[in-house]
Amino acid sequence: MKSIEFFRNVSIGQYMDTRSPVHALTPITKYLGLLALAVPILASVSWPGVALSFAAALAVSLAARIPVGFLLRGVKPAIPILVFTAVLQVVFAWPGDASAKLLSAGPVVVTAMEVRLAAMTSARMVALMAVIALFTSVTTERETAYGIEDFFAPLARIGFPAHALALAVAMSFRFVPIIAGELEAIVRAQASRGGDFGASGSGPIRKARAYAPLFVPVVVRALERAEILVEAMESRRYSGANRTRYATFKMAEGEILVRLSVAALGVAGTFVGIRFR
Amino acid sequence: MKETVPVRKIVIAGALGAVSIVLFLTKLGFISWIQGISLTVMHVPVIIGAVIEGPLVGGAIGLIFGVTSLIQAATAPNGPGDVFFVNPLVSVAPRILVGVAAWAVYAPFRGKLPAISLPLAGVVGSLTNSVLVLGALVALKALPLPAAAGIVLSNGLIEAVVAAVLTTAVVTAWKGIASKGGVSRVSKEG
Repeated sequence: MKSIEFFRNVSIGQYMDTRSPVHALTPITKYLGLLALAVPILASVSWPGVALSFAAALAVSLAARIPVGFLLRGVKPAIPILVFTAVLQVVFAWPGDASAKLLSAGPVVVTAMEVRLAAMTSARMVALMAVIALFTSVTTERETAYGIEDFFAPLARIGFPAHALALAVAMSFRFVPIIAGELEAIVRAQASRGGDFGASGSGPIRKARAYAPLFVPVVVRALERAEILVEAMESRRYSGANRTRYATFKMAEGEILVRLSVAALGVAGTFVGIRFR
Repeated sequence: MKETVPVRKIVIAGALGAVSIVLFLTKLGFISWIQGISLTVMHVPVIIGAVIEGPLVGGAIGLIFGVTSLIQAATAPNGPGDVFFVNPLVSVAPRILVGVAAWAVYAPFRGKLPAISLPLAGVVGSLTNSVLVLGALVALKALPLPAAAGIVLSNGLIEAVVAAVLTTAVVTAWKGIASKGGVSRVSKEG
């Protein structure tokens, strides 16, 4: 057991407040931007679509005054894994691969298709990393949660539980430190009784069984906490309908233009990614 | 705007979503058994939520967990394979379906025969996770089919057994507490 103090270094993504115009956009626009950059990367069968999104992400980060190194901080630890993936893709032969052979060493034949696949996988991952890191660095926790409700507001009219989903996400954020604290208490309690989680014994099933004394109380305690909150909310007659909000997001002047151009970029990027090879 | 989702469903989705986030971020959700290969139990809260409160809650927990793993993979990858999870087809979509699949096999029992229905929900939910995640990797040509099938047969089956054990343990413990009428206990600790 390396450390019992878990929740001191728990973080998901990282917000970087530079008070730029990008930070001031409403959550809807930020979500739209995330989609507009991520969809072309996922849909692309070739590099131009990926490159377009990547370039756009770098341009936005410049406007948001987020250092490019900060966006790509996930790439360096990922390099060995990207290399490993590339090796896997090259070593295993793909069925129906009729492309030119570039190199052959014993049973291993490197073909043009394999090289192209490996390069695309890496490029796609790096571009997605940049886009997601960009989103988390310009969007606060509260904007992330409320943004879900705002973004899905049109769907809420036909019954999509936008408000409920946003509330569940916001609650998850709030519950994380509490659950982490519970977990810490339980690990300490079990450790003081001589328990160690899966460290001893061999065989996966035995290890998993040793894990149950940690997992079961954590989940049951979380459910108990949830039950208390349910009681508190119901006794105050909580209802999702017609609620007002403490935090409201106002569109800046000309933001509608930003939304339109972002949407256009997304469509163009997807088209380029699918069409050009 | 009219919405009819009960408060209990929202809160339980939030709480179990937080459990899977914490298990994920503290690395306690991974049980390593051979150097470099680990079993994961982080999708078990998704299965539990689906069994207790239905597919909507299971799906929501899956979404929360999936997005967390996506963001983590993009900003601070630290395990082999993390890189793949930057793609929402790998990290998010399968996790949402884990909840739906677990509920789909649990619901027909209508709460009867928990000794069969709970492990079954655990096994099906867990296999949904392994098969869809690895299936997505194969579809994206990130991993050749033989390698993916090997992982499902080795890691996936053991994970399914572990998920069955943990799902059964938690749900019976929780149902036991609930049926004794003392649901909220923390409040009584003063």
